[in-house]
Amino acid sequence: MLAYIIRRVAQSILVLFVVGLVAFSMFRFVGDPIDNMLGQERTQSDVERLRTELGLDQPFPVQYYRFLEQAVQGNFGLSYRQGRPVSEILLERLPATLELATVSGILALVGGIGLGIFTAIRRRGTAANVIMTLSLVGVSLPTFLIGILLIYVFSVELGWLPSFGRGEVTWIGGWSTGFLTESGLKALILPAITLGLYQMTLIMRLVRTEMLEVLRMDYVRFARARGIKERAINFRHALKNTLVPVITITGLQLGSIIAFAIITETVFQWPGVGLLFINAIQFVDIPVMAAYLMLISVMFVGINLIVDMLYFAIDPRLRVDRTAGGH
Amino acid sequence: MRLPLALVAVAALTAPAAAEPFRWAGQTDPNTMDPHAGNSAPVLGFLNNVYEGLVRRNQDMEIEPALATSWEPLEDGPGWRFTLREGVTFHDGAEFTAEDVVFSYERASSAEADTASWFSGVTEVTAPDDYTVVMRTEAPNPIFPDSIANWMMMDKGWSEANDVTRPNIERGNYATINTNGTGAFMVTEREPGLRTVLEPHEGWWGEADHNVTQGIFTPIENSATAVAALLSGEVDMINPVPVQDAQRIDQAEGVQLLRGIEARVMMFGFSQDKETLLASDEENPFQDPRVRQAVGHAINVPAILQTTMRGAAEPAAQLVSPAMRGYSDSLSERPAFDPERARALLAEAGYEEGFSFQLKCPNDRYINDESVCQAAVAMLAQVGLDAQLEAMPVRNYWPELRADNYDMYLLGWSPGTFDAEHPFRFLVHTPQENIGTWNFGGYSNPRVDELIPMVQAEIDEEARQGMLDEIAGIVQEDAVYLPLYVQPLLWGAAENVELTQREDNFFILRWVTVN
Repeated sequence: MLAYIIRRVAQSILVLFVVGLVAFSMFRFVGDPIDNMLGQERTQSDVERLRTELGLDQPFPVQYYRFLEQAVQGNFGLSYRQGRPVSEILLERLPATLELATVSGILALVGGIGLGIFTAIRRRGTAANVIMTLSLVGVSLPTFLIGILLIYVFSVELGWLPSFGRGEVTWIGGWSTGFLTESGLKALILPAITLGLYQMTLIMRLVRTEMLEVLRMDYVRFARARGIKERAINFRHALKNTLVPVITITGLQLGSIIAFAIITETVFQWPGVGLLFINAIQFVDIPVMAAYLMLISVMFVGINLIVDMLYFAIDPRLRVDRTAGGH
Repeated sequence: MRLPLALVAVAALTAPAAAEPFRWAGQTDPNTMDPHAGNSAPVLGFLNNVYEGLVRRNQDMEIEPALATSWEPLEDGPGWRFTLREGVTFHDGAEFTAEDVVFSYERASSAEADTASWFSGVTEVTAPDDYTVVMRTEAPNPIFPDSIANWMMMDKGWSEANDVTRPNIERGNYATINTNGTGAFMVTEREPGLRTVLEPHEGWWGEADHNVTQGIFTPIENSATAVAALLSGEVDMINPVPVQDAQRIDQAEGVQLLRGIEARVMMFGFSQDKETLLASDEENPFQDPRVRQAVGHAINVPAILQTTMRGAAEPAAQLVSPAMRGYSDSLSERPAFDPERARALLAEAGYEEGFSFQLKCPNDRYINDESVCQAAVAMLAQVGLDAQLEAMPVRNYWPELRADNYDMYLLGWSPGTFDAEHPFRFLVHTPQENIGTWNFGGYSNPRVDELIPMVQAEIDEEARQGMLDEIAGIVQEDAVYLPLYVQPLLWGAAENVELTQREDNFFILRWVTVN
């Protein structure tokens, strides 16, 4: 187990290096930050002074080395746009994204599993068929469009929910939360649905398929023959066995909820790290872009690691040393 | 429009007693609160509410007294004497005196500032007494007061106490987030990229004719979201309204569409100093003025305005709009749409068969920029010119232009001084270190280069206009640029809001009345 973890951690660090390298080699194609930092009346010497000041006149390997050197000390530099430490800005914006992702994740998980079970048990019912058809919409419509549709219906037409922003937030230590105010909770609803809808339909379809599979198994039939209540069969025996693949997918999707939050955050002007990243691209704010990409890759790598270890815990078969197997 | 009941309830819960704040949204958050660290419309436009200059522009863009009550040319050499307003205080209570002006000059003209070019001809700034400032210039400069309307005054004492005697564009400092101006509003809350709250400055010297008790600015990048926020009543004003949504806002209940004309003129530029074309490596036809004129006759600007701008913009014949100072009234006719004439001119220049070239356009900088270019491509094809359009985000666009990677390109120019001389200085003068810095095409005309410094130093209005007319005539004759139209200003606001749309696209909060 320990050797396995060490190996995985080493691999993870390598992945981070590569992500940094690829990201950095791409920044030069994103554009030139100088144009955004100086006005139209600037002179060539202003441009050169700023370029030297920012170290942008250095060759790419030097820039990457400098970034790494500082990043391992936890210093991601200063944002070109805001002139503040990037780590400070990220920490300020992270709660918004994490709260949104958590709510969407819970929504996706609860809704997905619930509807999945329902459509599997009542698979010939009208309601189940309607849900299955609607879920196609959730899978196929782009997030952007869903967000705009929801805004149009619930903010513009009905006027029930806010169309943008996070409402009023409360600061608890360094964490800003929207959970404690009415406007904060209201502001969460539309973005959370937008962000979670795809994941919810995905989980629902997965649970349904797995469940149908399991319900056909012999042990379920024997259980039925023994006269065990339908409820117990469905929820105690069948559901448990459908959950292993669900955990994998959910784990991986958790990462993508945070990563895909970029689009949802842009549509709803949600003040999280995704919106920060989009702004950073527009402004060619290289330190922010670099830090965000590193953050996201650390998260993905971390989640994968945890999922792998959960497998280890859940599935005893994996604990057998693979190299010892003779067949 | 239906009343968002829930929202009203929430607002009532969270904002006790005080009148409703005025909430507005724009596309870009000002990236700094330091008036000398940013020379862009989002920064200067926002800070005009917080800081003030010696002079300011009124609703019609005319110069009027602000922190200076009067000014006159010096008797003993070129330059100006400003008499300062007495009894002006900064937001922190400190008094505004001549010392602050001298300090603000040193700060704004330093190498670290983004505003240094405004003071390129200034040699010395002194304060003979507390309420007089003398600014000496190398040569007479009749429009000097006009050119410093956005030069904002900072308090010397505050700046020294907070260690911000110089702006810092790349690292930021205390003044990047905190402000201390003399303006009608003070910043009470600043969360970069999220929201900025303004409240009236009680000790303001002027008479407040607005009724705003609190102003909240939120940047909303996505224009569809901004429109939804306006329609649902969550914001009272948005700038800009996307052209395609203009009609909808015009017709929706409870909101109004405000149309105006921006000072920005959109134009096509041409590569003129390169020997060969980028697209084909053949000889560069744009070196020949007849070819550039042919492009002018091939593009049907009224049709473009009708389709891509939905009739919201005015055609332009010069590098500035007619509202600018120094506009040449005699040259207000733009090349007529005449494909036959375009073909004839091309034939005359030896290009009967037409040619292929590369057209570069930004796709996120100006209103419907890419669609305008697409329309132009189709029109150019009618006269045998095969334009290969390459559209890109503006962050890639300027580097491409600087690297000479284009044959023809789209440019918008808003003259910072609201004077016809401004675009000549930046776009037409032969490119050099401090002048002609945006003349990507490399046009060079000794007569123009000779005239521009003369214009800058001419005190006599009539003689000055004569020289501006001559330059404008040369620019039109040589088809150095092909002016297309003046970019429209489209704002949306709640029906009960009265405001002023100024031509520089600045939103001035003290001209807002909420009924």
